Amino acid sequence: MKNRIFGIETEYGLLIKTEETEVSPAWIARRIIQHLFGQKKLGVIDWHHRGHDEPPGNGGFLLNAGRMYVDMGHLEYASPECHSLWDLLAVDRAGDWLLQDCLEDLGLTELVSIMKNNIDHVTDATFGCHENYLVTREFPFTYEGLGLLMPFLVTRQVFTGAGRIGMARSAEGWVGLDDIKGRGGDRSRKSAEEAVIYQISQRPDYIVNDFFEWVQGNRAIVNTRDEPLADPERFRRLHLLMGDSNMAEETTLLKMGTTGLVLQLIEDGHAPTGLDFDDPVQTLRGISRDQKREWMVTLSTGQHLSALDIQEQFWEAANKHYAGQDEETDWVLTHWESVVKDLRKGYQAVVGRVDWASKLWLLENFREAEKLEWDDSWLKSLDLEYHNVDPQAGLYHGMTEEGDAPRFTTNELVNLSKVNPPRNTRAFGRSEIIGHVIKEGWADFLEKTAAHQDPRRPPYVINWSVLQLQDNPPFVMADPFRTYVKESRDYCTEGASPPIPEPLSNKQDK
Amino acid sequence: MEQTKECAQMVGSLDRKERPVDHISKPSGPGDQESGPKRPETGSPSGDNLMKRMKKVDPKQAEKYRQRTGE
Repeated sequence: MKNRIFGIETEYGLLIKTEETEVSPAWIARRIIQHLFGQKKLGVIDWHHRGHDEPPGNGGFLLNAGRMYVDMGHLEYASPECHSLWDLLAVDRAGDWLLQDCLEDLGLTELVSIMKNNIDHVTDATFGCHENYLVTREFPFTYEGLGLLMPFLVTRQVFTGAGRIGMARSAEGWVGLDDIKGRGGDRSRKSAEEAVIYQISQRPDYIVNDFFEWVQGNRAIVNTRDEPLADPERFRRLHLLMGDSNMAEETTLLKMGTTGLVLQLIEDGHAPTGLDFDDPVQTLRGISRDQKREWMVTLSTGQHLSALDIQEQFWEAANKHYAGQDEETDWVLTHWESVVKDLRKGYQAVVGRVDWASKLWLLENFREAEKLEWDDSWLKSLDLEYHNVDPQAGLYHGMTEEGDAPRFTTNELVNLSKVNPPRNTRAFGRSEIIGHVIKEGWADFLEKTAAHQDPRRPPYVINWSVLQLQDNPPFVMADPFRTYVKESRDYCTEGASPPIPEPLSNKQDK
Repeated sequence: MEQTKECAQMVGSLDRKERPVDHISKPSGPGDQESGPKRPETGSPSGDNLMKRMKKVDPKQAEKYRQRTGE
């Protein structure tokens, strides 16, 4: 898509199905990382300290140029940089498959399931699916500029939400005094859950701010941390953490594609105006929890509109200015219009395309067949199982198997993307260097060379925008739109010869 | 400009085609003959593979899913 680089970061949940005490999510995550990098050699483990919470061996970069690691007890996969939405979908699914492959290799499928969701119904824990959009440094990171994005983000959940039964007790799962037995029991939670049987999105319960730069404890609709992972004079990275992990392929494409187009509307001065909310956070939650699914909102002007009306306004602006821009833009415009129109007919019209609708449809049918009440734990277990990445077990995958959920990539492309990077971004150059490190056997250096090499000086350091091989100067990849493939190959094969010098800010590329 | 050429050459030299694989079959759901996917048939749960898959799910697994808060 024009002028955009996309990325998705997914934190997975691990369901331990056994009562064996030694099998914990942390133990499973460690075994998977060791297997992926140590045995399968599908990437190179980080032997350097990346941060206080990332000691050596915590994770590493993959041959597809993405990264797999453990973050706050969760396996996390960060996709490589993608210029194309279709590449993004394939590499996103490749992350699921890489992990599931490891479970199968390790004979752990009977003990463990890997879930691509964002909540724990019991503990109220949440974990994220973060979206990254590269924008220029000139993008208006102001209340006025990002304020234009807010109504779109608050309402897009009508087609991007993953759905869930019930609601979180409070942000972060904090226990209020009223929840403590003997102080009124847990009546407050129960009455709230009765009111919210099913909501369309998983994350709104945990979003407590409109703009903020940090994550835990103060999750915002727009994270404003300035960490471009590229030339900071030319680029900025819009980091969103309010979205759900999506199973439906159409939703993944639409979530990233529509957001990319709205960013373009803002960049070009074409974004719809006058759609502000007085309280975007409460509006976000109100839409998600609306049991009638009318999704009516009140603007700061006092005007009443539905979330679908607001999405239509953004679609109309994007269609007016960008129809015919490129093949991907046209695909997004067509499917954006279609899903919004179909949502007006009822959720059944988007089953298979929109996660919350698919899940609700499955739950409604099962509840009816088994004569269950909505608070039955079996239904929450099915809610979770929708997100199982195992194609033999997961309910979403069951829908694709039955032909009830459309595919927009192929198994062949996902398999290819497990070990190959997108070929039109700097991911290509990074992958070349990762492949070289594997070939040279440097990734095993602690085991092989601990006796005679200082473990504080690993033979390589790989990162998103800078890499360094032993005895070589740093190799800078400041522009995510470039492949750096020739330079990276030269850097690997010509030993100590320096990479092509590149100033951090290359004005000629503007 | 040079970068654009570089990208074009790399993309053009490879088999990976960056285009959607659109398997959507239109139409439609009940009462909808214009657009949207077919609503799965589940009138007969015992004969439906999805219902079989759902019945296999451990009714207590959500209670076993003890996750830590992430980001």
